[in-house]
Amino acid sequence: MSARGNVLAARGSVWRPVVARISWQRLLLLLFVAAFFAYLFGPLIIMTVTAFNSADYPRVTPWDCFTTQWFGRFGRDSLLLAGLANSFFIGLGVVLLSLPIGLAAAIALSEVGERARSLLYTVFIVPILLPGIVIGIATLLFWGRIAGSFGLGHDTLLYNGIFLTILGQVCFISSYSMLIFLARIQRFDPTQTEAALDLGATPGQAFRKVLLPFLKPAIGSAAVLAFLASVENYNTTVFTIVSESTFTTVLASKVRFGIDPTISAIAVIIITTTLVAAIIQEARQRRLAARRREALAGVAAGAGAAAVMAGPTGRLLSHPASVAVLLLAVVGGLVWAGSRYDSSACQDALLQQKLQRQQELLEQQRQRMQQQAPAQPAPVPSGAAPKPASPFGGVFAPNNLGLSAPGGAVPAPAPPGAAPKPASPFGNAFAPDNLGLSAPGGATAPKIEPGAPAAPADPAPATQ
Amino acid sequence: MSRDVTLEHVTIRFGSHTAVDDAHLTIRSGEFFSFLGPSGCGKTTLLRCVSGFLEPTEGRVLIGGEDMRGVGPNRRPTALIFQNLALFPLMSVAENIAFALEVRGVGRQARRKRAVELLELIALPHVGDKKVYELSGGQRQRVAIARALAAEPQILLLDEPLSALDLKLRQHMRSELRAIQRRVGLTFIYITHDQGEALTMSDRVAVMSEGRIEQVDEPLAVYDHPKTSFVASFVGETNVLPATVTGRDGTDVTLQTDGGLIVQGFAVGRRQYRAGERCQVFVRPEQIKVAPPEPGPNRLAARVLAEEFEGNLRHVSLAVGGSVGGSGGAPAVGALAVGGQPLRMSVVNDGSLPPLQPDAALTVTFDPSVASVLPEGPLARA
Amino acid sequence: MSPNGIRVAFSRFFHRWGPGVGIFVTGSVALWIVLLIVLPQLAMFDASFRFNLPPAEIGGPRDLHTLSNYAALLLDGRGGINWLDLGVLGRTILAAVFVTILDLLLCYPIAFVLAHGTSGGRARLMVLGLIVPFWVNEILRAFAFRIIFGSSGVLNAVGLGLGLWAAPVDFIRQDVALYAGLTYTYLLLMIFPIYNAVEALDRNQIEAARDLGSPWWRVHWRIVIPVAKPGIASGATMVFMLTAGALAAPQILGGPSSLWFTQLIYQWFNEGGNWPRGSAYAVVLLLACILVTLLAMRVFKVRIGEIGR
Repeated sequence: MSARGNVLAARGSVWRPVVARISWQRLLLLLFVAAFFAYLFGPLIIMTVTAFNSADYPRVTPWDCFTTQWFGRFGRDSLLLAGLANSFFIGLGVVLLSLPIGLAAAIALSEVGERARSLLYTVFIVPILLPGIVIGIATLLFWGRIAGSFGLGHDTLLYNGIFLTILGQVCFISSYSMLIFLARIQRFDPTQTEAALDLGATPGQAFRKVLLPFLKPAIGSAAVLAFLASVENYNTTVFTIVSESTFTTVLASKVRFGIDPTISAIAVIIITTTLVAAIIQEARQRRLAARRREALAGVAAGAGAAAVMAGPTGRLLSHPASVAVLLLAVVGGLVWAGSRYDSSACQDALLQQKLQRQQELLEQQRQRMQQQAPAQPAPVPSGAAPKPASPFGGVFAPNNLGLSAPGGAVPAPAPPGAAPKPASPFGNAFAPDNLGLSAPGGATAPKIEPGAPAAPADPAPATQ
Repeated sequence: MSRDVTLEHVTIRFGSHTAVDDAHLTIRSGEFFSFLGPSGCGKTTLLRCVSGFLEPTEGRVLIGGEDMRGVGPNRRPTALIFQNLALFPLMSVAENIAFALEVRGVGRQARRKRAVELLELIALPHVGDKKVYELSGGQRQRVAIARALAAEPQILLLDEPLSALDLKLRQHMRSELRAIQRRVGLTFIYITHDQGEALTMSDRVAVMSEGRIEQVDEPLAVYDHPKTSFVASFVGETNVLPATVTGRDGTDVTLQTDGGLIVQGFAVGRRQYRAGERCQVFVRPEQIKVAPPEPGPNRLAARVLAEEFEGNLRHVSLAVGGSVGGSGGAPAVGALAVGGQPLRMSVVNDGSLPPLQPDAALTVTFDPSVASVLPEGPLARA
Repeated sequence: MSPNGIRVAFSRFFHRWGPGVGIFVTGSVALWIVLLIVLPQLAMFDASFRFNLPPAEIGGPRDLHTLSNYAALLLDGRGGINWLDLGVLGRTILAAVFVTILDLLLCYPIAFVLAHGTSGGRARLMVLGLIVPFWVNEILRAFAFRIIFGSSGVLNAVGLGLGLWAAPVDFIRQDVALYAGLTYTYLLLMIFPIYNAVEALDRNQIEAARDLGSPWWRVHWRIVIPVAKPGIASGATMVFMLTAGALAAPQILGGPSSLWFTQLIYQWFNEGGNWPRGSAYAVVLLLACILVTLLAMRVFKVRIGEIGR
C-alpha cells in the first residue's frame, strides 16, 4: 500500500500535466464534434426555417411572415406528384430486382474459395465506384442498341424511361444490397445449415427455413436502403429517364432553374418523415435490446428482477407502436393547425407596409426631382440596402416561380428583377448561375428539365 | 433393425494432410461408443464422415450393413449434436425440436404432440414456447438432444457437446446422457477430448492420435492395459520411465531405467523383448505404495519433494535415487531418476500414512504386474 | 476465374443449397455482371468510337469506327490543344482530390470518436445523427447549401450583420458552396469504412502507448492510422470516384466559371445531341478516375479487395 502511495507521489508531478492536457484535448474534440454536427444539420435546419417564411425566395432574414402556404403549393404541383409516382414505381422495381441479385452475390461470395472471392468481390464492388452518369449513359446506349438490333420502336419497353432507369439503378444498388447481405451472412453460423441437413432437410429447405429467416433483418434494411437510394438518385437517372421524370429530376430542375420555398417545404416533409421513422426504429431497437436483457437476467437471477426494470406504464409508453401513434398524432396536429393557419393578414399588412414605403420612396424621389433637375437616376438610396429588396419581392410575389405552369418555361429567375435584392451589385448572381448550366455553345435560356434529356425521337443521337 | 456402424479402412485426406488414417472398426448396435483424443487428432473429421458431411478418401462407411457412399447427411439414419449445439436461434424450443418433422411434411398437430413428448423425455416440459436464448446451458444441451431424437435416428452422433458447460453441469450431464441413451436404446457415438467423459459414459472407447486409432477397448482396459505409449500417457495420470531391457522371463521384463534404477514390469501384448531394446515403463501414481518392511521387487529409495493435498487423495512428489538393496542409500534431493520428472505417488487419505515432511526419506514400491512395458513411442503432450 | 473454378463453385452451390438456389445464385450473378455491368460498358465504349449519325444512317455504309470523338477532347480543331475541355477534366480531378482530403480530415476524428470515444446509447444516437441527414434527397441538400451560400443567403446575412465583411461575398462564384456541398454529400462513405477499421483496434494499445508517454498525435500516427489505413483507402476511393462523377451538386452549386467534367458530358448528351462524343468523354472520365485511384493505391500500398469492407 505504502509502496503504491510512493509511486503515485513520485508520479504526481508527471501525471498532473497529462490530465490537464487530456481535458484540454477533450474540449477541442468536443468542439470539433459539435461543429461537425452543426455542419450536418445546419443546412437542414436553415432550410426548414425558410419553409415557413412567406418571402418568395427561401431565406431566413429578413423575416416576412410565418406561413404554411408553401406546403399547399407542393400538394398542387402536378409535375412533382407525377415524378413522385414514377419514383415510387422505379423504387419498387429496383427493390424487387436488386435484393435478389445482392443476395445471390453475397451467397456466392460466402461459398467460393479465398482467391475467387477477392476477384468476385472486386467485380461486385465496381458498380459503386463507377460514376453514376457513366452507368446511366452505358445503360441508355446498350438497351437502345438491343432495341435497334431487334427493330423495336420508340414506344416499346426498351425505350421506356422507367424501365431503363430501373435497370441502370439496379446495376449499382445491387452492390449496396450485396454489402448488407454479406455483412449479415458473415455472422451466419454454417453449422446451422449442417444441423438442418442432418435433421433431414433438403438443401432447399435448409436455405428457406434457416438461412432466409436469419437474413430477414438484412432483407428489411437492404430494401429500405435500395428504395431510398433509388428515389434520391440523380446522376444515373437523369440519363436513363429519357422523356419521363422522377421526383428527383423534377426537384433538380426546380432547384436549377427556379428557387422557391416550396422546395424547402418538401424538405421539411421529408425530414419530418425521416425523423419519425428514425425515432420509431430507435424505440424498437431499445425494446428488443431490453427484452434480450430481460431474458438473460431471467435466466441468471429469476424473472423477478426483470419486471422491476420497467413498470407497465413505462413499458406501454416505450412500445414502438405507442411511440408511433404519439408521433403521428403530434405531426397530424401540426399539419391540421398549419392548414388552418392563415398568414394572409400578416402578408397583406406587410404588402401594405411595403407599398406604403414604396409610395414614400416615390414621393421622395419626385420631390427630389422637382427640387433639382439633374437628379440621381438610381431608385435606391445607398443606405437602405435590405429594404428596397422588399418592394420588388412583394410586387412579384403571387406569380413568382413557375410551379403553376408546367409548359410555362419557368420564367422566374430569368429577369434579374425577381431576385430579392435587385439593386445591389450582386443581384445578378443567379443569372450567371443559370448560364453556367447551359451548353457552352448552347442557348443561354434555361431549358425545362423534363424535355432536356435527348429523347429517342431526337434525330441526332445514334440509336441503332 | 441393425444400428451398427462399420468403418472399413477409412482414410480421409485434405490435400497432403491425412486427417484420418486407416480407421477400421465396428460400432455395435445400441452401444455407447466414444472417440477420445486430443484436439486435432481427426476424431471430428471421422464423425463428419459418419454423418455424411464428408466422404472418405479411401474405404467405406457402412451403417446397418449398407454402404453410405453418396448418401447425403439428410438421408442417413444419423443425427448429430454439434459442438456449439447449432440450435436455431429464431425458432422457439418446440419449433426447434419439431424441425425434423416439419421438413418431412408432418402436420402441425402431430409436430406439436411429438415436441411435447420429447420435452417430457428430457424433463423440460414447460419450455416449449421459449426462445433458445432464454434457456440455460444445460437446458440447451437437452433441447439439442431432443431435437436430434425427433429425427428418429438410429445412431446419435455427439461432437463434444459438453465442452461449453461448466464443470458441475458437465458432470451432471454425463449421467444424464447415459440415462437418455439407456432409455432410447440408440447407438451413441461420442467425440471428446475429456477422458473423464469417455471413461464414465462409454461401453467402449477408441483412443485416437494424429489420425490413427491407437486402441479400441472397454474403459477399464484402456486405463489398466494401454496398448501404446500414447494411450498410456494420454489416459489418466501416469509415471513414465524411459528404460533399456536387461532381461526377460515370459512376460516379466527386467529393465534398467535411464536414471539407473533396476525395475521389473510386464510386457504388454506378450511382446518378445530382446536385451538392450529401448522401451518405456508406465506406472500409475496410485499403484506406487510405501514399501512394507519385507523384501520384494521394485523397492526404491525416495525422498519427499512436496506434497499436495486434494481432499480424498494426497499427491506426493518423490525424488528416487536407486533401488534399495542395489546401489543402496537414500538419494540426494534433486537427484531425479524418472526421465527428469519427479515420481508421483497418490495415496488415499485414510490416515494410514503419517504426514510427510519435505526431505523425509522413505522406500516406495510397485507391483511388476501394474508396470506396463511398452516399446518406445510418442507420448501425449501434457 | 478459371472455367474449372467456376465449375467447382457451381457444384458447391448445388451441393450446399440444392439445385434451386444454385441456379438462382449463378443465374442472378451472371445476369447482373453480363447484362447490367459489362455489356452496357462495352456498348458505351463502342459508341465512343462512332460518328454522330442520324438514325437512318446507323448500320449503313457511313457507320464506321473513328477516333474523332477522342480527338475532339484533345485538340481544338485548329491544330492546337483543347485546353478548355482538358482544363475542365484536370480541374475536376484536382477538385475531387481536394474534396476527398477534406472529407478525410473531417471524418477521421469523427470515426475515431464513434469507435472509441463513446459507447452504448450515445454511440447509437451519434450514428443516427450521422445517417438521418442522408435520408434527405441529395438535391435538397444541395439546395440547402444554396440557401446558405447564396448572395442573399444566411452566411452573407450573418457576415454583414456582424460587420465581418462589408459587401456580400459571392460564395457560389468562389466555389465555396460547391466544395461544401460535395464534401457533405459523401461524408458517410468516408466515416463508416474508417469506423469499421478503427473499431477493430484494441483500446489497450492506445492506452498503453499513452501510458508510455506518447503524445496524442504520435499515438494516432503510429498506432491508429496504420489500423485505419484500409478503411481510409476504401473511403477515399469511394469519395474520390463519386465526387469526380458527381453531377447534381455541380449543377446546383457550381459557379459560372467552374464547369465540372460531368457537366460537359451531360451537355453533349442533352444540349449538344452528340451521344458518341458524350460517350467518349465518359470513357475518358472513367479511365482518368481509375488511373488516379490505382496510382493512389500504388502510392499508399492498398489493394482494391479491401474496399467496401
